[in-house]
Amino acid sequence: MLKAESVRKVFGTTTVLDGVDLTIQPGEVVSILGSSGSGKSTLIRCINGLEKLDGGRVTVDDFDVSKPRELAEARKRSGTVFQLFNLYPHMTAVQNIALAPIEVLKRPRAEAEAEARNLLASVGLADRAEAYPAQLSGGQRQRVGICRALAMKPRYLLLDEVTSALDPEMTAEVLSILAKLAAEGTTMLFVTHEIEFARTISTRIVFLDKGKLLVDLPTDQFFAPAGGLAQPRIAQFLTKMRKD
Amino acid sequence: MRYAEFTWFDLVLLAQGLGVTLGLFLATSLIGLLVGSAWAVIRFYRVPVLTQVVTFLAELLKNSPVLVQLFLIFFGVPAFFRINLTPVDAALITLSGNTAAFVYVIAVSAIESIGRDQVEAARVFGLSRWQVLRHVIAPQALAFSIGPLTGLLVNQLQVTSLISVIGVLDLAKIGNILNLRTLKPFIVWTAVGLLYYLAAKAIAYLGARAERRLRAHSAWKGL
Repeated sequence: MLKAESVRKVFGTTTVLDGVDLTIQPGEVVSILGSSGSGKSTLIRCINGLEKLDGGRVTVDDFDVSKPRELAEARKRSGTVFQLFNLYPHMTAVQNIALAPIEVLKRPRAEAEAEARNLLASVGLADRAEAYPAQLSGGQRQRVGICRALAMKPRYLLLDEVTSALDPEMTAEVLSILAKLAAEGTTMLFVTHEIEFARTISTRIVFLDKGKLLVDLPTDQFFAPAGGLAQPRIAQFLTKMRKD
Repeated sequence: MRYAEFTWFDLVLLAQGLGVTLGLFLATSLIGLLVGSAWAVIRFYRVPVLTQVVTFLAELLKNSPVLVQLFLIFFGVPAFFRINLTPVDAALITLSGNTAAFVYVIAVSAIESIGRDQVEAARVFGLSRWQVLRHVIAPQALAFSIGPLTGLLVNQLQVTSLISVIGVLDLAKIGNILNLRTLKPFIVWTAVGLLYYLAAKAIAYLGARAERRLRAHSAWKGL
């Protein structure tokens, strides 16, 4: 179980997260919606330990992210896919994927690389295994990014606006892979602007506004007139996003 | 045959001088590379106190003439601490320190050139700070700095000629001896200059080869 309890994060004088509570059970796909600057990405960065909390608590399977001794265990259980891919440019696709399994999980190189190739094949990149990130398209890079996270066999997959830097065609490539993962029962926390896609794959939708968690509802209720749409802020957001 | 004529033995002398120059160059470059990189790592980890010491030391070494440093080590240190230093000891210490200071500057800018996002990715996947340094930062920093490092080493090879003034029998000192004996400066210094030139070219060639290999991932063909 992944749990955020009254999480607070302050940058200078701006409160980016203001008492956010969120619980994710294994098997759930939870999408976080909200406009830019609402704190979505910061929430992900608080969960994977890239930001220090200014209040509250984040635990991944009861391992506290704020405690240096437990952070390593917490990080083994969650995998992050980044908006801008963050691949290692000096390594091939296979090396990018196999680095953490070899170094952190101490897997034999041959085994880790064979598994990396299998992962690449599963996202349609079998023939790009030896390519460097600079030789890949944006969509291909993000697919490598997803494989890199999956290689650690995380119990929770954290996806931080993974299609925001991609054109519609590449977005479709990446989303189809995420849909497949969701169908296989992968637990995901999915920060996104792809509302229609979030609607099709999520079990729950969470709406963040100015650092506060406005609603946390099952998907069908979120889009129902009496549910999320009853909130003026959410109705406004959805209308705006659909127009764009 | 007059005493002042060139003899075949002079070629052996020149080769010996070249050997001393190259030997000192290789030794001080190796030490300088190790020490300078270690200083950069200290700064990267922001080790308290040591970071300040390293920055101060590098500033001092960068901003004073090598010749002054050499005199200070060779004449000053033995007088002050009452120890014995041979000319080769003094040359080793001075040149290593000087190379280290410039390697430090190159290594720091190379480390800073690496995107923070990759480091964050590696940390998120559980790599320790040491593993991040070894697998993500160091290889890229090396690829970034190999060009400036080659330039530095070519320059440091020429700088070794300064040690002839404290009596190390390097290539420049041998040139000086041959010049005084034969009184044919044009021939002697042309030969000596040519040997330095060839050694420098060899360093530049090896550097360029290493750079091509290390930068395979960003093979940029130019406009």
